[in-house]
Amino acid sequence: MKRCVLHIDMDAFFAAVEQRDRPELRGRPVVVGAPPDRRGVVSTCSYEARVYGIRSAMPSREAYRRCPQAVFLPPDMARYEEASRRVFAIFARYSPLVEPLSIDEAFLDVTGVRRLFGGGEEIARRIRAEVRAEVGLAASIGVAGNKFLAKLGSERAKPDGLFVMPEAREEVVRVLGALKVGALWGVGKVTGAALERAGYQTVADLQRADPAVLARAVGECLAAHLRALAFGEDSREVETEFEERSLSREYTFPADCRDRETVRGVLKGLSDEVGRRLRAHGRFATVGRLKLRWADFRTITRQAPFETAVCDDFALRALALRLFDAERLAQPVRLVGFGVSGLCEGRREQLTLFDDAPAARDKRERLCHAVDALCERLGTGSVRRAGEREDGGAEP
Amino acid sequence: MKFTVLRSKFLEGLQTVQNVVPSKGAIQILTNALIHVEGDRMCITTTDLDISARCYIPCEGQETGSTTLPIRRVASIIRELNESRIQIEVNEDDVATVQCGSSFFKIIGLPTRDFPPVPATEGKVCYRIDQGAFREMLRKTSYAASLDETRRVLNGVLMAFKENKLTMVATDGRRLALVEHEIEFPPEAETEMILPTKAVGELMRILGSDGDLKIYAQKNQVVFELGDTVLSSKLIDGVYPNYRQVIPSGCSERVTIEREMLLSALRRVSVVTTDKSNATRLTFSANQLTISTQTPDVGEGRDTVAVKYAGKEISIIFNPEYVMDPLRNIDDDEVFFELNDGHSPALLKCGLPFLYVLMPLRIN
Repeated sequence: MKRCVLHIDMDAFFAAVEQRDRPELRGRPVVVGAPPDRRGVVSTCSYEARVYGIRSAMPSREAYRRCPQAVFLPPDMARYEEASRRVFAIFARYSPLVEPLSIDEAFLDVTGVRRLFGGGEEIARRIRAEVRAEVGLAASIGVAGNKFLAKLGSERAKPDGLFVMPEAREEVVRVLGALKVGALWGVGKVTGAALERAGYQTVADLQRADPAVLARAVGECLAAHLRALAFGEDSREVETEFEERSLSREYTFPADCRDRETVRGVLKGLSDEVGRRLRAHGRFATVGRLKLRWADFRTITRQAPFETAVCDDFALRALALRLFDAERLAQPVRLVGFGVSGLCEGRREQLTLFDDAPAARDKRERLCHAVDALCERLGTGSVRRAGEREDGGAEP
Repeated sequence: MKFTVLRSKFLEGLQTVQNVVPSKGAIQILTNALIHVEGDRMCITTTDLDISARCYIPCEGQETGSTTLPIRRVASIIRELNESRIQIEVNEDDVATVQCGSSFFKIIGLPTRDFPPVPATEGKVCYRIDQGAFREMLRKTSYAASLDETRRVLNGVLMAFKENKLTMVATDGRRLALVEHEIEFPPEAETEMILPTKAVGELMRILGSDGDLKIYAQKNQVVFELGDTVLSSKLIDGVYPNYRQVIPSGCSERVTIEREMLLSALRRVSVVTTDKSNATRLTFSANQLTISTQTPDVGEGRDTVAVKYAGKEISIIFNPEYVMDPLRNIDDDEVFFELNDGHSPALLKCGLPFLYVLMPLRIN
């Protein structure tokens, strides 16, 4: 059966939530991210700001230089998360096969429910209308036979649009042919440069390429992948359970930090955030990793295994702090990060003779899950440990 | 110092004490053996400051004296020589001249005064036990000792001399092996000591299958004397955990299994386990034990073993290595598994005064 996949991407999500809640911002350039007088980058900016050349991940200082009249706002994740939950709840009305890509982006496989709701295009139309009516936000949607084409579709649909990929192969080939190679999934800086050196600029060049010559330029495996994509072929399934291999969070200080206790405080916040996401994915971690970037940009990482697979904040924190405490602050810290890897779904835990570590761990995990449930309802950071202030910086 | 020695005797002596010598990176004097000749006897001593080994071999001493020589190099030379009689002369600068048939070597040693002192074979109390019996006790327990350097008291074997028994225990906190042997000693000689793993390894290497072993307990150290060889070791300082308390009493179910059959079935099934994923399920049902495992991205394995069992069905998960370890180190034809349920400690026993406590794995 021919598949039908939707790629849904919220337009300027963080900025759109701000404009929705504060009518005075509508029609004005809005930048969500670091303040313009401090180090840090733009998270999201409204379409009005994009006119000035402001983009996500651009340093806020640069954004300010381009558009001093823009309204700069710090991210308010609790509100964005709340909006995101409501948007995803709408997706769930149409298909159980939802693959979240981020807080504001998802794939939906609607192959099996087309007859129920009247085809991919109709479903996309209804989702857009419901998101606008119920959440007050704009969603752009691409409809196609696979994930790659659906994603291309939503890019074409932006802003606030709907794009249905033509079904006929020759049409798809024509649409793709006009694109630069960088539009293909998996082509980043390195591969892009390699392709360019070999004389492939557009997807049409790849469509015409001799497979053997292409394979010499980028390797056999990647060559086969690129050729399939160039003809609009992509067999990846919509994966409802995203298989995470690692999770991490990092924070850049507004000004390089010399104070151990301040870095420790941020690190605690980061490890709690990693713990929350780990539990949200129902995973356990076996390895923890600390990242420190000094003032001169040199970066070190230190990692260590957990005694057993864990998911509670206490174990994550203990390891994060142990790794950090073992480091001398050679220079002021520019960035601190904490991540976990070696993720597994279940845990096989060796019980022990002389202590009851597993029971104590169970208790801590139940506590963390309970706090997660409260934060889910009341917003991130609403429940904190006694004696700890809200450590900023864990926000994306 | 000057002496003549038989190649085979000298080599045997060197090999007995050579293992103690620390490998690269040690203080230079510790890579040397102290050699002392007096009359018709030579004494070779090595130490790494924690463990010292000493052995006596016959020789023809022409001139009494001592020196220290690099033991690995000397042993390599002696091993390669053809003739049986070796003549060695050491001058006052600790340079040894080795002559044997057509071969000639000069080996540069170090002064004796730099060699650290080694404990003497004396002590308030001396325990006596058969060498073979003691070696068997070490064999049946030592594999269970912890390799985790952060748990120092578990990095060795406990020897408890109490109630006219020597009880030997090793554990890594996940399983525990215990064996007992009756020996005689006065009540005031009751004591406990933790012998480090390296000393256990050395003892198992040099202990014979019969002959007397004398154990001298000293302050913070212990000396073993077996014939012409003496091994001394520092003890691990610390309190051994209360092992009696973790031995389950009164298990509800008992299974009788042929040891070899169980071991070979476990060995087969564990082929499809990996270091990371080794959980193996043992399901005991009426006269049958099913052993099974599943490893993501590898596959699965299952085997069944006939057993004597009439109790309720019990399914329990273990690290298979922890089940195989004791089975490899006992010789009984039959072993007994004692269990309560799938999440409580299990006991493995055999005909001897031996027992093995094993904690299961929990899956969630």
